[in-house]
Amino acid sequence: MPILQALVNGLVVGTLLAVPAIGFTSMFAVLRFPNFAISGIATLGAFAGYLAYGAGLQMVGSLVVAFAAAAAAGLFFDKTAHLPLVKQGALPAAIASIASGLVLENVIRLGFGNDFRGYDRPIARDMYIGDIRVSPQQLETMAIALAIMLAVFAVLAFTRVGKAMRASADNPELAALKGIRPERVAAMASFIGMGLVGVGGMLLGLDSSIDPLTGARILLSIFAAAVLGGLGSAPGAVLGAFMIGMAEELSVLAVGSPYRTAVGFFAILIMLTLRPRGLLGERAF
Amino acid sequence: MSLLSITDLRGGYAAADEIVKDAALRVEPGEIVALIGPNGAGKSTLLKLIAGLLRPRGGQIQFKGQNIAGLGAPEISRLGLSFVPQERNVFGVMSVAENLEMGGYLDGAHARQRIAELYERFPMLADKRRAAARTLSGGQRQILAMAIALMNAPDLLLLDEPTAGLSPRAAEELFGTILALNKGGVAILMVEQNALEALSVSARAYVLVQGRAEREGRGDELASDPTVRDLFLGGKAQPMLASRGASTELGEHS
Ligand SMILES: Nc1ncnc2c1ncn2[C@@H]1O[C@H](COP(=O)(O)OP(=O)(O)OP(=O)(O)O)[C@@H](O)[C@H]1O
Ligand SMILES: [Mg+2]
Repeated sequence: MPILQALVNGLVVGTLLAVPAIGFTSMFAVLRFPNFAISGIATLGAFAGYLAYGAGLQMVGSLVVAFAAAAAAGLFFDKTAHLPLVKQGALPAAIASIASGLVLENVIRLGFGNDFRGYDRPIARDMYIGDIRVSPQQLETMAIALAIMLAVFAVLAFTRVGKAMRASADNPELAALKGIRPERVAAMASFIGMGLVGVGGMLLGLDSSIDPLTGARILLSIFAAAVLGGLGSAPGAVLGAFMIGMAEELSVLAVGSPYRTAVGFFAILIMLTLRPRGLLGERAF
Repeated sequence: MSLLSITDLRGGYAAADEIVKDAALRVEPGEIVALIGPNGAGKSTLLKLIAGLLRPRGGQIQFKGQNIAGLGAPEISRLGLSFVPQERNVFGVMSVAENLEMGGYLDGAHARQRIAELYERFPMLADKRRAAARTLSGGQRQILAMAIALMNAPDLLLLDEPTAGLSPRAAEELFGTILALNKGGVAILMVEQNALEALSVSARAYVLVQGRAEREGRGDELASDPTVRDLFLGGKAQPMLASRGASTELGEHS
């Protein structure tokens, strides 16, 4: 049954990965550059949530703190460092965002050192369904991740802000002609997108432990999920996240865990060769 | 006072910043004005400058007595000016209903009522309300684009080739719609390749050549002007002249 167990694990990882992947792809849809600062921002979210949780906040409260810290920092870096460069093309902005991510990572290292830290969650006995093992904590984080995803899709589909973001991503000039201010939409995309990345960092940290490299370790998986689903497509990012999650867990069975990170590389490589627009393309949302 | 009055307007794109050169034109309240000219004359560029999608390098654009040159597109649309671009004039991934909602973004309070009115005026839109805009036919898309522009009850509508790609029959219908809108009090500045049609419905028209308004006149006058006829409307022997030759020739005439 190891394959079934790996698939279940993949489902868990995929659900958690989907949250930052939606954030990353939504930012790409509006801002038109791949924002690799998500590595540092995910770490920041994980640490902010860790501190809040340690200070006695409940899970939901800690997630809000993770969201807020990541959103604020993301907005700051976009406004000051990345967006001024986008006019010269996506590449300069993308390179600057790698630098921003490294800055954040090292600031966190300065403050907290390189130690691994675990959230102090109450211990609960694993549950078994047949031979398949899942922990109640995993179920809780999964449920939270699903709830966040539903909330994000509801915002995009039904609210004024969400529709303005979709309109602006689809056709920025027409959106401006209809009175939607591009700077506002850009700020909103940075804020919500990076907030989700921060929450994602915390959710993935809850499942294991956190250190300054937490974000760097999931950067490739997030990017691969977004590319797989089609850069700019939120439903695509969810689909991509599940596929990457499963593929990574299965790869551990097949070739061992050191090669796990290669999965993202291969997924991107294969996708860009066979179907550069991704599985759902940009059309879906 | 003119609704729109442009003087010495200059501007273009980052790479080519002198597309429109010292252009001048005006639109009176409730008037239909046609803008014709060869391909590449700068008609679309001129409309983008007026609507605020491009930033003018010089000159004035007075709209309702206020200089709007240099304002951004969101601010200009707020003042009651709607622009229907030649291309990419709908939100392709969004449904027809959502497209109309976005058209009414600035005036959410009246959106519901206006959408109902537009569904009544264009029953096709009501039938297709849930369809993604990219799945519409060319003619249906133009109707939607116009309907989006009407959602914020503009005083001036800029139309860039509204009948491009339409069958003669559909173009005829669209001209009818434009006239009906105009009867309702909306002033219209319209770029058209169907120049004869456009001139016949317009009070006045301008001929734009190489970024300058070379000729101005009543629609019927320009329509019977031999030079204009020859150059843009198709002479007897040659239905269409090459635009480059045409533009220099007209330049020499005037
Ligand atoms: N995005 C752009 N960047 C640089 N130059 C442009 C751009 N769009 C148009 N141009 C140039 O500006 C000039 C005028 O183009 P414009 O689209 O305004 O012409 P037009 O009169 O609308 O023509 P048509 O009848 O073919 O629509 C052309 O020489 C064109 O090459
Ligand atoms: Mg044009």
